[in-house]
Amino acid sequence: MLLPKFDYHAPTTIDEACSMLGHYGAKAKILAGGTDLLVHMKKRLLSPEQIISLNKIEGLKEAFSQNGTGLVLGPLSTAAYLADSRLIQERISVLAQGASRLGSPLIRNRATVGGNLITARPASDLAPPLLVLSAKVTLKGPRGERTLPLEDFFLGPGQTAVQADEILTKILIPNIQGISAGAYIKLGTRKALEISLVNTACFLELAQDGSIKLARVALGAVAPIPLLTPSVSKILAGVKPKNMDDPVFREAARAAAQESKPITDHRGSADYRRYMVEILTWRTLKNAYSQLMEKV
Amino acid sequence: MITLNVNDREYDLVIPVNRTLTQVLRENLKLTGTKQGCGVGDCGSCTILMDGRPVNSCLVLAAEAEGHKIETIEGLSEEGQLHPLQQAFVEHGSIQCGFCSPGMILSAKALLDKNPSPGETEIREAISGNLCRCTGYQKIVDAIQSVAKKV
Repeated sequence: MLLPKFDYHAPTTIDEACSMLGHYGAKAKILAGGTDLLVHMKKRLLSPEQIISLNKIEGLKEAFSQNGTGLVLGPLSTAAYLADSRLIQERISVLAQGASRLGSPLIRNRATVGGNLITARPASDLAPPLLVLSAKVTLKGPRGERTLPLEDFFLGPGQTAVQADEILTKILIPNIQGISAGAYIKLGTRKALEISLVNTACFLELAQDGSIKLARVALGAVAPIPLLTPSVSKILAGVKPKNMDDPVFREAARAAAQESKPITDHRGSADYRRYMVEILTWRTLKNAYSQLMEKV
Repeated sequence: MITLNVNDREYDLVIPVNRTLTQVLRENLKLTGTKQGCGVGDCGSCTILMDGRPVNSCLVLAAEAEGHKIETIEGLSEEGQLHPLQQAFVEHGSIQCGFCSPGMILSAKALLDKNPSPGETEIREAISGNLCRCTGYQKIVDAIQSVAKKV
């Protein structure tokens, strides 16, 4: 399969990339890892006249800790980097888990976190972990910079709040105060190169007295967008579970299933997916809670 | 014009910007050991090493490979001697039609360079982006395991 023709630009600063994008607008596409964009171009689903590559811009490929605010992920951090980085594994292991399940080892060496969010696939492996971590994204365009919560970022399959002249420049993960743990489960019919039937991520944070201060569960592939489930957070907030088998986790999992809006397609039926949301949410919550018990 | 560093040799090339690294390796440099399979990142037959990491070269613009160290299957043998992984693939009957072999060997090499004694699970994980259309996975895993032990 051949790529259509285009003009290629490789700016060396974000500002330069922004002014190019401001100039070309909807005629241009931003190239990060290329594992989605180039596939879409080969299949003629997209034929941008201009390609603006971010790969020659320094400093976008790594995550770092920012005093006071939390972690900053460069938009070009690859899935392999996120899966293997000690900083990510230690501080926000749920993201490392999601990243380790994306595509294949070959894809993970190219696919980027920014690209994964921008393509806004409902089955994204990185969006649910980032949603439960309360991530924010920074967008830069000709009118300046704005930062919005990731839950306001996704609008539909392939659709985001990003304007045609904006670039995703940063992903921010706020500091976590208390003892916390997360878990990610991806359900597919095989282990690699798979689009999830259902995926679930959860994040639990404990208060001083051992009760749950914050609980967040996000679901993939069961709604038009990666979905946060506020009802789960409500059920678990302030609860002090007896142990990981406490029925409250099953109750929360049932609420997650009710919030999901799966469809039937060749990968699975809506009923099956809804049931799997319950089971997988239950398992991720139990897993995260048992990690917490070990840390206390 | 771009300069590519492939198997420790520098090549100056004038190519259209819409060429993938697979196309340039095969058509301009005549390094046809790198195969073009699905063209969309599913099969792994176009696997090459970019700065030591295996990637699908069909999803890399040749222009974006500039400044990186590219290694193809042709770069593995030294002075006419096959690389231990290549030798093991021959000895274990891991090559049937041969179309996946270059990619399999390069994915395996990247694994062994990072982890000289991987277990079977790690080996299967490392080659999970490389499909063998002959389905001869067991002998491929055997071959990689035999080299892992030697290290």
